[in-house]
Amino acid sequence: MVRLPYVTALTTLFSYGLLFAFGQLRDFFRRILDARKPSNLKGYAPICLGLEDFYTRRLYLRIQDCFGRPIASAPDAWFDVVERYSNDCNKTLHRTTTTTKCLNLGSYNYLGFAAADEYCTPRVIESLKKYSVSTCSVRVDGGNTKLHTELEELVARFVGKHAAIVFGMGYVTNSAIIPALVGKGGLIISDSLNHNSIVNGARGSGATVRVFQHNNPAHLEEVLREQIAGGQPRTHRPWKKIIVIVEGIYSMEGELCKLPEVISVCKKYKAYTYLDEAHSIGAIGKTGRGVCELLGVNPADVDIMMGTFTKSFGSCGGYIAASKEIIHHLKHTCPAHIYATSMSPPAVQQVISAIKVVLGEDGTNRGAKKLAQIRENSNFFRSELQKMGFEVLGDNDSPVMPIMLYNPAKIPAFSRECLRQNVAIVTVAFPATPLLLARARICISASHSREDLIKGLEVISKVGDLVGIKYFPVEQEKTTAVEKLKKIQ
Amino acid sequence: MAKLYVQAFPPADLNKNTEWFMYPGVWTTYILILFFSWLLVLSVFGCTPGTAWTVVNLFHFAGASAYEFGYFCSQTGCFSIRVWLVLFRLITYHFFHWKKGTPFADDQGMYNGLTWWEQMDNGKQLTRNRKFLIVVPVVLNVIDSTTVRELTVYPHQLYCLRYLIALHTTDYQQPMLFLNTLAVSVLVVAKLPNMHKVRIFGINAEN
Repeated sequence: MVRLPYVTALTTLFSYGLLFAFGQLRDFFRRILDARKPSNLKGYAPICLGLEDFYTRRLYLRIQDCFGRPIASAPDAWFDVVERYSNDCNKTLHRTTTTTKCLNLGSYNYLGFAAADEYCTPRVIESLKKYSVSTCSVRVDGGNTKLHTELEELVARFVGKHAAIVFGMGYVTNSAIIPALVGKGGLIISDSLNHNSIVNGARGSGATVRVFQHNNPAHLEEVLREQIAGGQPRTHRPWKKIIVIVEGIYSMEGELCKLPEVISVCKKYKAYTYLDEAHSIGAIGKTGRGVCELLGVNPADVDIMMGTFTKSFGSCGGYIAASKEIIHHLKHTCPAHIYATSMSPPAVQQVISAIKVVLGEDGTNRGAKKLAQIRENSNFFRSELQKMGFEVLGDNDSPVMPIMLYNPAKIPAFSRECLRQNVAIVTVAFPATPLLLARARICISASHSREDLIKGLEVISKVGDLVGIKYFPVEQEKTTAVEKLKKIQ
Repeated sequence: MAKLYVQAFPPADLNKNTEWFMYPGVWTTYILILFFSWLLVLSVFGCTPGTAWTVVNLFHFAGASAYEFGYFCSQTGCFSIRVWLVLFRLITYHFFHWKKGTPFADDQGMYNGLTWWEQMDNGKQLTRNRKFLIVVPVVLNVIDSTTVRELTVYPHQLYCLRYLIALHTTDYQQPMLFLNTLAVSVLVVAKLPNMHKVRIFGINAEN
């Protein structure tokens, strides 16, 4: 739910209309000009049907230089961005050999494990020498090392469930597990803003999928009542299984899920709950145990907890934590476990070491310090941005903060201007977000120092004035960042 | 100037091709786009009635005699409205009821057999948005008919072409109204709930 000035809504719709009109005009002339060229299809059908790639060709490629920028160092608080140039208006981009050192406000580096860490990196190198870079085998065959078993036990203990199973890829964890859990005759009710991996998993499962309004437990109850009363489509038999899928932190909104209410609704109607903690595990909660700890929900109340190691633990892969019976079933049915190569051993060791740091089992209190640091950083950054008049989404304590841009022209303007001032920001447009709600997403890390954040704030404020995205009135209190800097000094 | 804020709730619609239509400000933007495009057409065609009939030759929807049509339009001075209405009907028909599918590949071709009109509001019929879009061409038709009846005849034309105007006004009122209502009825029929997923004679049925 966002609040925007009415004029902005009108101008955004008008801009998209204009872009669409120009794209159609260009396509029209391209078709006329290409009518004389002989088609070299030789009887094969074309790869894209006429309209399918319109958005990519006519809208995305125009601002392609704002997405997918290559980097030349580890994604720490400061990193090197490779410069690119284009000779044909962004249709093709060429890399140069020059790099610029930029402030990294885009990586999901919540606890700062993305770069070399004093505890994790030596152990990772050791495991690389011992177990080599890949097991070259599936988990059920020859790819199950001691590290994998240790990781599964550690994850189960960390999250507060009885057992866990680990996969090599976060996206696959959702899209391959959901079909193994529910099939035809089942019902999946998912939040309207769920991630693409969940949507793909739900579509691939063959179950009926219904959507409830984002973070609205009342609407969830309404949908549940309607579906339970109606039963399966056409036959009206009772559903075999109902699963409600929500996320801990929604990556495009930075909002926390209303977990206690959702759990109580699900318990009332005997539906299973599936919690995707990709962004919240390790990043929120007093000891980093995610959204359950933050909101005071007992992990035993959530049936299946999913998470990824990509964001807070600086590795790759995902996990599912649930009861012993469910994990046993998954280990025997999920193709991502039976047929996919097991997770790379150094990556497993990285997660093990990172979780040990967070739990404090490495003998220091670095984990607790990191968690406190990220909480402080997020709250400081968010409150400063709101004081400057930006429209920032997300709840307090959440390290993800999107700044609303709305107009399609402001996306490349904001992105390029920030890069020129050495701050690297990720902008998100359609189709990852709804068409009109384009935003710039900032992810705060525990490795950002106070000076880094203040520099980021200054640049964003200047660029925000230039681009015109300060939709809310500026607060007139004198507790600006400059004052705070003076206090530190 | 005090800013007027609106709340935008993300609608629970999985089809990203049509969910933008449920946001606030869409109806106003639609009307404003129609108004600005009319100004554009007015600025292009308002001053050159002589070349009008060649353009109309290319664009006319129902295929009446282009010369008589152009002559009539140039005499009444409502020519730009004519062109604009024809363009409006053509463009809205093409994008709402002819083009099928979505302009991106994310949904894996789920809506490849459905036009934009059929995709809207998840296939639910007679929602507020649909009613609004049915009303707009009808209202434009009403505006169009009233301007046809009150023919504005310019003084200079009166002096030199008075006889011809008198001859033509009675001849051309009937066919113009008939053609207009025919065009609008095609648009309105295409938007009726009974025509959901109907392809007459298999036109536009292939993927």
